Amino acid sequence: MIQRLLPFATLAGLFVALAIASPHFLTGPNLSTVVRQTTVINIIALGMTLIIISGGIDLSVGSILAFGGFLGTWVLAQGTSIGASIALGIVAGSVCGLMNGLLITRLRVNPFIVTLGTMGIFRGVTLLISNGLPVHQIPPRFSVLGSGSDMFGIPLVLWILLVCAVMMHVVLEHTRLGRYAFAIGSNPDAAFYSGIPVAFDVTCVYAIAGALTGLSGMIEASRLMSGQPTAGQGYELQAIAAVVIGGGSLRGGEGSVLGTLVGAFIIGLLSDGSDLLGINPYWQQVIIGGVIILAVCLDELRKRRTVT
Amino acid sequence: MTALRAANLAVEAGEVHLLMGENGAGKSTLAKIVAGMLAPDGGEMRFRDAPVRFRNPAEAAAGGIAMVHQESLLAPHLSVAENIFLGREERLPLGWVPRREIVERARRLIAQHRFPLQAEWRVGKLSPAGKQMVEICRAIEQGSSLLIFDEPTSSLTASETQEVFRIVRELRARQVGVIYITHRLEELRAVGDRVTVLRDGETVHSGTLAELSMERLIQHMVGREVTTLYRREPATPGDEMLRVTGLTRAPLLEGISFSLRAGEIVGLAGLIGAGRTELCRALFGIDRPDAGEVRIGGKVTRIRNPRDAVRAGLALIPEDRQRTGLATGLPVAYNMTMASLGRVSHLGFLSLGSERSLTSDQARRLRLRYDGPAQLARRLSGGNQQKVVIAKWLACGARVFLFDEPTKGIDVGAKVEVFETMDELARGGAAILMVSSELAELQSVADRILVMRQGRLAGELPHGASQEEILRLAAFQEAS
Repeated sequence: MIQRLLPFATLAGLFVALAIASPHFLTGPNLSTVVRQTTVINIIALGMTLIIISGGIDLSVGSILAFGGFLGTWVLAQGTSIGASIALGIVAGSVCGLMNGLLITRLRVNPFIVTLGTMGIFRGVTLLISNGLPVHQIPPRFSVLGSGSDMFGIPLVLWILLVCAVMMHVVLEHTRLGRYAFAIGSNPDAAFYSGIPVAFDVTCVYAIAGALTGLSGMIEASRLMSGQPTAGQGYELQAIAAVVIGGGSLRGGEGSVLGTLVGAFIIGLLSDGSDLLGINPYWQQVIIGGVIILAVCLDELRKRRTVT
Repeated sequence: MTALRAANLAVEAGEVHLLMGENGAGKSTLAKIVAGMLAPDGGEMRFRDAPVRFRNPAEAAAGGIAMVHQESLLAPHLSVAENIFLGREERLPLGWVPRREIVERARRLIAQHRFPLQAEWRVGKLSPAGKQMVEICRAIEQGSSLLIFDEPTSSLTASETQEVFRIVRELRARQVGVIYITHRLEELRAVGDRVTVLRDGETVHSGTLAELSMERLIQHMVGREVTTLYRREPATPGDEMLRVTGLTRAPLLEGISFSLRAGEIVGLAGLIGAGRTELCRALFGIDRPDAGEVRIGGKVTRIRNPRDAVRAGLALIPEDRQRTGLATGLPVAYNMTMASLGRVSHLGFLSLGSERSLTSDQARRLRLRYDGPAQLARRLSGGNQQKVVIAKWLACGARVFLFDEPTKGIDVGAKVEVFETMDELARGGAAILMVSSELAELQSVADRILVMRQGRLAGELPHGASQEEILRLAAFQEAS
């Protein structure tokens, strides 16, 4: 039980330590920067949580983010309303996710391989249709999505994140789809033998994660105020890291929304803290890499002890 | 668990010694001890007049004892030649493998024994028989003087079986001792010189084959007195619930026809590899049959996958519950409602309250011993895990139950409880097909017993049939 709480304790400890170490940490602007920077990864990580619980993985989320973000901003630049553009970004993301799901379930290819392939395909298609050039002619009001002013003292993106997180929590703990995801991830054979529509559910899981990634693509575009076809590179690994630090198991059947949020904020605080304390950014990568391995080690230790 | 209590076995050079017994009699355990794969708790083993004790298979192999396994332990991506010499290649500098020499030596070996193999073939592409040949080559190459065959023909065709027999005879002619484990009686005369029969881990008979009649042998195998822990009172069956006509899935199932009626527990006996599990899988939509018709409650029902089966009111309690029956990493409640979430949810949203009450109702009904619905399934004992699997199907209102070896790996007390649950189900109007390798179990629980042999239904026996009758149907060829 103590070790199950470890991610929370780590986050709290990190928070307190940084508050003591740096006078700039506990200030509104800094905290709001941390939130804004982690939200994009955080929303992707929510979808990744669902995928990892179902026993899968999605390496293509960085490319989906670029695809959705580019498509959304492109129609925005053509004069489409902001709401419709955001919706298009989300739909584009979910179509990508749907393709991942269909390839995995119809061709019965390992999700690692399928999404490794689509990571290249989605990125390539985005670069092809954009000719490698970002979209810049975006109405200024679009910046509200990513950098919108605070509501009740909380940045808009954090509200979006909270809504997504609550929705994902409900999906995981209170819907059939979420329950099936746990069952499929824990033992796909037993799930199939129990009459669970495994292929359908797995496809849904990837489509949902794709939609969330499309949304974060639009948030990223709003923060940068441009639709970058090269956006989101390497985000897949950060999202996976957040899930794993938060207690998700790459063997499937384990993971939670709360854990993933904590995992993403731990990564966010580590990089913010290193900035504030003037730690060489190259060291940040070393530290975050170490934390990932440490988190998984501790989790393995916990399981080994409780099994026997 | 004690698999072996007081087993004696003596094998001479140039003799084919059959080791016989029912499933679970301890044949494989004894063989594994001889081959150094298991350590004995007591007793003595002498090899070539000297006491020996092997700590691992490598030591046994070095001493001249090798085992040909039921399931092949070869590297499928390597060639026949590479597998024959695997782990015993000549040590050259830089780990260099003398490939050409290995192939040359393998060729000579294969030619010498007239194996239907080629040194360059990839092992993964060979048939089960071919793989066994490779294992035999490996054993001969090691210079083994005692070879153990563990049910070599269970997965082979008739002509492949003849080929194995030829090789066994040839080994005998070369003064190699052979221990041949089998429970197929028809194989006896073809290869054996002497026979040792094990029952419940003890040697009950040892002698030359010529002195032993088939009847006596069966008696030795099943034993006289069978202790019954549980005896079910057969009920009067009701309406027909399941009718199977001409179910075929080549080459494992051929023209299977039978029916189950409400309130009935029908046993399904047969040797390993007879197709009992395959029949359950085909009925449940896991494997697609080539032909045949299934009627449930009188209506022709097409079952293309387990989902169709569950909808039609079928339930499968699989043989391997850890692998296919349970999600052991998830809570008991999740497992119990896995097949019936539709009943505790509305528009896709779960009602955790009704899930909880459903779980505790089932737990009470089945006398499940657990800490609560949130306990992980893997923490339960084997018997309680089995109850969770049964509860899963009770929760979704299944009417036709396929129990595949329901008491495998669970202790005696839990066995009786599983039987009581089955009896309760039957009295509640369910129809039950029960696959079991334990003849005593079938005798005491089943209303009638279907017997399968090599993918076909060999016959049906009424309640009260003797173990001898069951075994004879299960083990003999039509001719004998």
